[in-house]
Amino acid sequence: MTKSRGVKRSKVEAFFRYSLLSFVAFTALVPAYIMFTGSFKSQGEFLNSPFGIPDSPSFAGYQSAWTDNFPNWLTNSFLIVTGAVVMTEILAALAAWGFARFPFNGRETLLGAMVSLMVVPPVVLLIPLFQFGVQLTLISTLRLVILIYVGLMLPFSIYMLTNFFKSIPESILESASIDGASSFRTFRSIVLPLSGAPLATLAVVNLLWAWNELLLALVFLQSNEKKTLMVGITGFQSRYSLDIPTVMAGMSIATLPLVIAYLFGQRFFIAGLTAGSTKGE
Amino acid sequence: MKLASRKTATADVTRRQRSAHSSKEALYWIGPAALVILLIFGYSVVSVLISSFRYDGDWVGLENFEIVITDPIFLTALKHNGLLLLAVPVLIILAFILAVTLFETRRGMRFYRSAIFLPYILPIPVVAVVFGQIYQLNGALNIFLRSIGLEPLAQDWLGDPSIALGTMSSVIIWKEVGFGVILMLAHIISLPNETYEAARIDGAGFWRTHLSITRPAILNTIVFYGVIEAITMVSWVFNYVYVMSNGLGGPGNATMVSELYIYRAAFQNKAPELAAVAAVFLFVATLILMVAFFRIQRRSIAGTFNK
Amino acid sequence: MKSKKVLAIGAMALALLLSACSSSSDETSAEGDKAAFPTEDLTLNISWWGEQEAPGAQKWLEETIALYTKEHPNVTIKHVLQTTDGLIPSFEAAAAAQSGPDIQYFWGGIYTQQPGWDGHIAPISDYLSEEELSHYINAKVEAGFQGKVWTAPWYINPSFPLLVRKDILADNGLSVPTNWDELMKVCDVLSAKKITTIAGGVKDGWFGGWIYSILGGQSVQSQADVINAVVGTTKFTDPEHATWWTKLEESRDRKCWNDDINSLELYQAQQKFVDGTAAMTITAGPDAPNFAKKAGGDEKVTIMAMPAWSDGPLAGKMGTTSQTLGITKWSKYPQVAADFIKFSHTTDRLNAWYAATGSMPADDRFDISQVQSASTKALFESALNGAPYLENFIPAQLDADAVFKNVQLVLKGEVTAAEAAADKQAIMERLRKSDRKLVDNFTAWAK
Repeated sequence: MTKSRGVKRSKVEAFFRYSLLSFVAFTALVPAYIMFTGSFKSQGEFLNSPFGIPDSPSFAGYQSAWTDNFPNWLTNSFLIVTGAVVMTEILAALAAWGFARFPFNGRETLLGAMVSLMVVPPVVLLIPLFQFGVQLTLISTLRLVILIYVGLMLPFSIYMLTNFFKSIPESILESASIDGASSFRTFRSIVLPLSGAPLATLAVVNLLWAWNELLLALVFLQSNEKKTLMVGITGFQSRYSLDIPTVMAGMSIATLPLVIAYLFGQRFFIAGLTAGSTKGE
Repeated sequence: MKLASRKTATADVTRRQRSAHSSKEALYWIGPAALVILLIFGYSVVSVLISSFRYDGDWVGLENFEIVITDPIFLTALKHNGLLLLAVPVLIILAFILAVTLFETRRGMRFYRSAIFLPYILPIPVVAVVFGQIYQLNGALNIFLRSIGLEPLAQDWLGDPSIALGTMSSVIIWKEVGFGVILMLAHIISLPNETYEAARIDGAGFWRTHLSITRPAILNTIVFYGVIEAITMVSWVFNYVYVMSNGLGGPGNATMVSELYIYRAAFQNKAPELAAVAAVFLFVATLILMVAFFRIQRRSIAGTFNK
Repeated sequence: MKSKKVLAIGAMALALLLSACSSSSDETSAEGDKAAFPTEDLTLNISWWGEQEAPGAQKWLEETIALYTKEHPNVTIKHVLQTTDGLIPSFEAAAAAQSGPDIQYFWGGIYTQQPGWDGHIAPISDYLSEEELSHYINAKVEAGFQGKVWTAPWYINPSFPLLVRKDILADNGLSVPTNWDELMKVCDVLSAKKITTIAGGVKDGWFGGWIYSILGGQSVQSQADVINAVVGTTKFTDPEHATWWTKLEESRDRKCWNDDINSLELYQAQQKFVDGTAAMTITAGPDAPNFAKKAGGDEKVTIMAMPAWSDGPLAGKMGTTSQTLGITKWSKYPQVAADFIKFSHTTDRLNAWYAATGSMPADDRFDISQVQSASTKALFESALNGAPYLENFIPAQLDADAVFKNVQLVLKGEVTAAEAAADKQAIMERLRKSDRKLVDNFTAWAK
């Protein structure tokens, strides 16, 4: 952060600022700490001293968690998230460019209608989509879930990217069309390179959503081999309700990919998340 | 004068041509996404509507609607979604305070930012399970409160129906606030340097500066965040409630929300027609909410085109 | 049977509303008919639950599958263990899809009747002989419907035993209570010493249904009384159906329960008994012998029925129910599924079940004399001639919406016994309106 700051800082103010931040950071980190340390404790130790450091760290929790289909669940989650995010990205970018660039009758209405769909709770779609999956014999297939996720993520994605594309200065685009570039070429060679940040935002937001989605996965992936990580660990809680350390170990494993991705790509995560929403105003 | 008007006329013609041409081209661009959306949403919404008027294959008119609208559990669920909306202003205020505080902080800013953002990336089922443990009567939070002599503050956080919904929303706030902080902070950082010049010369204080300068400057982001969170409270709380109340929405109906009501009607109580009716209500409610938000903030979709 | 071919995509929503589809099922009995046994390669899917209340069930099931498929190499059997909260929703989803498991696990009573009424079950009595079925315990009352039997009892759930630690009682100068008033006195003494009398957890609801069955059962004559209240000839606010709420209230006021009963799940709370921080608990029947063993065996633990608060015919009597396996309507190989179920009732498998889980298989050919522990043996015997398990005779939605929730609220002191009873009656009245077939179904069942 090289930018100069807004207001002059006084000592007292600094004290309050750091107190507030420390308190909030503490609150934010404690549950993760309890989860992680808890995964190495014994049941009794977890219940009696949730805040302590494990007396004699045990990996038993991880052992029983890992043998319980975890690799399978991880793979499924990974496949679904990748497929859904990539497809959403492509479809949303194309559509957003269509909205941003080509005025036509009813454009506002159509975009408005599409955007308003992002408030439709997925639970509303549950029954009909289930019937739909049944008719096409797609229940318990990753394909169906990917398709549904794409459908659910599109409204917000289109909304966000349209906002961004509208903000690209006309002058840049006009110079391209004078050059006689086709609109697809303009899109590919000028617009896309400019859109790294918002596309990354979108990928991050959608990735988090798809990775964490529970309801649809719960209903649509009935067979054991097709469960996602979230469905798996939700069942975990009830299966190991007497063995909290194993539950916590499972939770830690489920969280780890995200935390690692976050720590390594933090700058990218945060830049991505923020760029799109502010620039697009 | 003459020349000028002719010029406008030709411009009009080309614009019109371009418009006709562009609506065709727009179709190519928008088509694929529109198709998927139509398939997922269009089809579903229509068939939910149809289901809501039927029972066991027969047309029953408004019978299902009457059953649902007189169901106290459904009304409770709607009320709870409404109450959860109260968490939105809390989120906005908290996120704003934290964002400006981070903005004013140099040393350790990255650490604090990362820490505050961490909850947002954690999976909801994980969050719900961990908090489920923490909030037990003899769980971590109460152990902590008792150890520092605050025994009277120790509550049965999730077991007491009068506070369970509040407890639930505290978890949602805990998880969602980081997102707002990051959004707002980034916008503040991207504001031009001159923004604060006048305030600096005035020697205006911390809060005055940020309330009178920062707040209006990032209003768009605040609204954006508010809308996203309002949607979350109405349409996306299933995961929290399902995991933290063992799928029941209890104790009593203290944490019943419309999503869970629909899920239970369809998959637990074998009443898909009632689920469909509730879904129609929820759909309408969310649409009203959406329109209201855009109205209030005069930030309709059309507005995005009239820059 | 309602059947309608749904072709147009737009009309697909209809399919869900048509509860039954006409999948052509073989009506021929496969019993002893080896010629009909398919020779092509086939796969059966089993969707089940029970590991939680009968630990070792999974081991037994896998063993049984291995033995069966060894005998029938063309058969592959896969199984999915469901969670407690997920068992019914996942079956409902499968039923809506008319595809999924071939063999499905059902709790007894209404939990097997309802899917039967909805047309999701191929009655087991179509595939197994009357002689074979006559050995299955609790098949007729709970799973029977107008001469048919929906599903095959698998193992018995004596419902629900009170486990008492004699050592803790003795340490405090107390003896095992023989009636309700004595139990209340135990609560007074122990709560004064900050010891939990009965450990329970109602956060996940289920325990509420258990309490209803073991307390509410004491004031009715038979399950028919309950069905009368369901169909509306009597009311849940009538004394025979409502008095037990005051007993629950009394147990709360006398501080019988652990203070965190509202924030613990059923199975979590029972651990307090094993830890020695609670003098009593109520466990799933199949799990009781394990609990007794963990807490010190017959020497320290008594397994008994809930002390009686009334002099009704069922008061002080252990309830009984069997957890069952059923064949789904859409299974392509119902006769193979039935054959597998029959195989699981062979003597070797019955004994293996007891060895693996310590609980009783639902078959009178199981030889009880092999049971060593006196308390376990008594438990098994009491379940052979037990009281009806009430929770299984009310609609599942009433159980969840009225019983689970009002037990939570009464224990928390949020509502009174009278309010709880009134709420249950109100929900029942609503249910008769929203489930438009409920009265007919229950009436037919009661016949």
